[in-house]
Amino acid sequence: MYRKKLLILLLTLVLFMAPCLVFSNGQPDSKSPEKITLRVLAGQSTTDAGMEKLIDELCEQTYPNIKLEWDIVDWGKGFQPKMQLYMATELPDIMIGKAQDVATWGSQNVLADLSGKSYLEYVLPEAVESGSYGGKVNGVVFNALYQGVYYNKDLFKKYNVKVPQTQNELLAAVEIFKANGIIPFETHFADTWSIGNMTMQFAINDLFRDTPDWGDQFRAGKVNYVDSEKWKSIYQYNKLLFDNTWTDEAFSIQQNMADARMVQGMAAMKVSGSWSIQNFLDVDPDFNFGVFPFPNQFGEAKLIYEPNITFMVSGKTKYAEAVDQVLELILSNKELALKIYDQTKTAPMLAGITPTFTNPSQSDIDKYVAEGNIVDAGVGNNQLVWGGFQDENALDIVEWLYDPNKSLSDALTAADSRRENSRP
Amino acid sequence: MINHKHKMQYLSLIIPAMLLFSFGVILPAIMGIYYSFTSWNGMTPEIPWVGLDNYRNIFHDSYVKNAWVFTIKFTLWNTVLQNVFALLFALLLNAGIKGKNIFRTMIFIPCLISPIIVGFIWQRIFLNILPYLNILFGTDINFLLFGSADTVLSGLLLANNWQWIGYWMLIYLAALQTIPKYLYEAAKVDGASRFRQFFIITVPMLAPAFTISIVGITIGSLKVYELLVSATNGGPGRSSTSIIYLIYNTAINGRQYGYGSAISITLIAALLVVALWQLSFLRKKEVQL
Repeated sequence: MYRKKLLILLLTLVLFMAPCLVFSNGQPDSKSPEKITLRVLAGQSTTDAGMEKLIDELCEQTYPNIKLEWDIVDWGKGFQPKMQLYMATELPDIMIGKAQDVATWGSQNVLADLSGKSYLEYVLPEAVESGSYGGKVNGVVFNALYQGVYYNKDLFKKYNVKVPQTQNELLAAVEIFKANGIIPFETHFADTWSIGNMTMQFAINDLFRDTPDWGDQFRAGKVNYVDSEKWKSIYQYNKLLFDNTWTDEAFSIQQNMADARMVQGMAAMKVSGSWSIQNFLDVDPDFNFGVFPFPNQFGEAKLIYEPNITFMVSGKTKYAEAVDQVLELILSNKELALKIYDQTKTAPMLAGITPTFTNPSQSDIDKYVAEGNIVDAGVGNNQLVWGGFQDENALDIVEWLYDPNKSLSDALTAADSRRENSRP
Repeated sequence: MINHKHKMQYLSLIIPAMLLFSFGVILPAIMGIYYSFTSWNGMTPEIPWVGLDNYRNIFHDSYVKNAWVFTIKFTLWNTVLQNVFALLFALLLNAGIKGKNIFRTMIFIPCLISPIIVGFIWQRIFLNILPYLNILFGTDINFLLFGSADTVLSGLLLANNWQWIGYWMLIYLAALQTIPKYLYEAAKVDGASRFRQFFIITVPMLAPAFTISIVGITIGSLKVYELLVSATNGGPGRSSTSIIYLIYNTAINGRQYGYGSAISITLIAALLVVALWQLSFLRKKEVQL
């Protein structure tokens, strides 16, 4: 018993004295900068994987006293749940999401206002505009995606198919490809998000361009899905794709395999975004592809531009200065930016940077940009939230497509039933 | 008589576990019950009280109904298949077949893998590996079980049983090895056939193992989630959305934390009812046997 008491006493003394031993002469070493750990939540798409390593390497070299502690999740499935979890405790210092997250979380007043920060001068005006909400700059956009119909240029050339601009021209192209044994559309409905994305692409051109406040009207009860001829048409576009894709594998194939098939000449087109480029070039660096807007019923569709990776800062971070240092570093370092753009195969939102990866669709993009035929995806994404609304609507579309007992009206009615969940 | 000294020792051992249990289980459960009476979205400071609205809505929600239907189907098939095959494999191994250690290991290994990984494995098996057999043999068998609402349940049962049969096999194998051999010898002397020996000796002696396995598989099946996340995402559509998958989607992705909490409370109640009923029923059967 005496020995036990003695042991306990010794352990207590060690625990008590340990903090004192850390400092020489009882004082912290004033020469060493304070060690800071910044927590970073990164909601990534498939193309974004690996950028955290690039950032870490640069940060370690430049600010060895700052450590980035990463929490990396899939944006579509994990970002919102993580944000909700952190809001119940403490938000990470830095959050890397998508531009549409600015509206969602900015409206909760949990993000810092970045107005006037010196690092904003490194980005394009659009990057600040897309990261703004309610008069504040709640995010800084780093890159952008282009969405539309990615097409196999060689197949179009081989079968003398011109790029369609109207629905009739698109249908004609479909028939030509089918007649020649080519699957018209590559799809991967197993990834439900892809249906949600396609539907929003259709809606941006058919609906939101003309009615940018449609979401607000929807929540106010002034409009709905089931009575909207435009939404009926938008949903039907999904059926057009479903009826002209692989027969038995529509709900089995995921993106990687589907993209590979298009590169291999098995499919002619894909309603997608820049996130497919990485896959395309991984399969064949010389794949010759282009992009055009999905032709709507009005024949004046525009290519969709989507601000993507967005840096946001917690409004309650304890390390505001360190956060600014890190963001300044990331946004000012052109070498880092170039690596990220070349890795993600996306368009830059930093000024004065030109990616070096081969992008056969760039000529198409440049043409639409020059003609002013570009529309911001935010016009739709900032009106209807993804989590709990768009993704659920996508599931309804899936059920409608494969279940003969489900009707288009059922799918539209289901969308109306979750009106309360639609607010970004 | 427990003296004061021993009481203090017992308390010092129990208190940490009680604290962890209280903060980790009891408190969240109480909070969950509270939230189930609200329409909280999980984010805003306001937590509007809605009384029993959430519980009333559950009974009118087709998504909840369909999730329960899928979950019950999965559970029933899983319980039957897993018990039957686990017992069958246990009997074979207990019979002392050649290479039994290798077979036991092979059958058991899958249960060491995360269900998430199992989902990915079987996704690839159905999508890439098995369809290649059609090319190889010139057949036209539909192996894309996860890609159709009509076959997704079968695919998931295959994957889940592949993973867990080995675990329950060990339960049965351990129970079989506790049965005295002289009982079989006596029965054999009395002229009982192997078939009869199985039902008059093996089955009664395995009654506790049946109880453990049936309850364990049932409760585990009702809580299926991880496998669905990686294998099917609850699809196609919602055709493989379990009740827990629905709860997660509703509460977190759907930002209906209050409603999701209400569904989870009903799930807990259902689990308790099922477990208690099964235990009560099976314990009685044990006594009878």
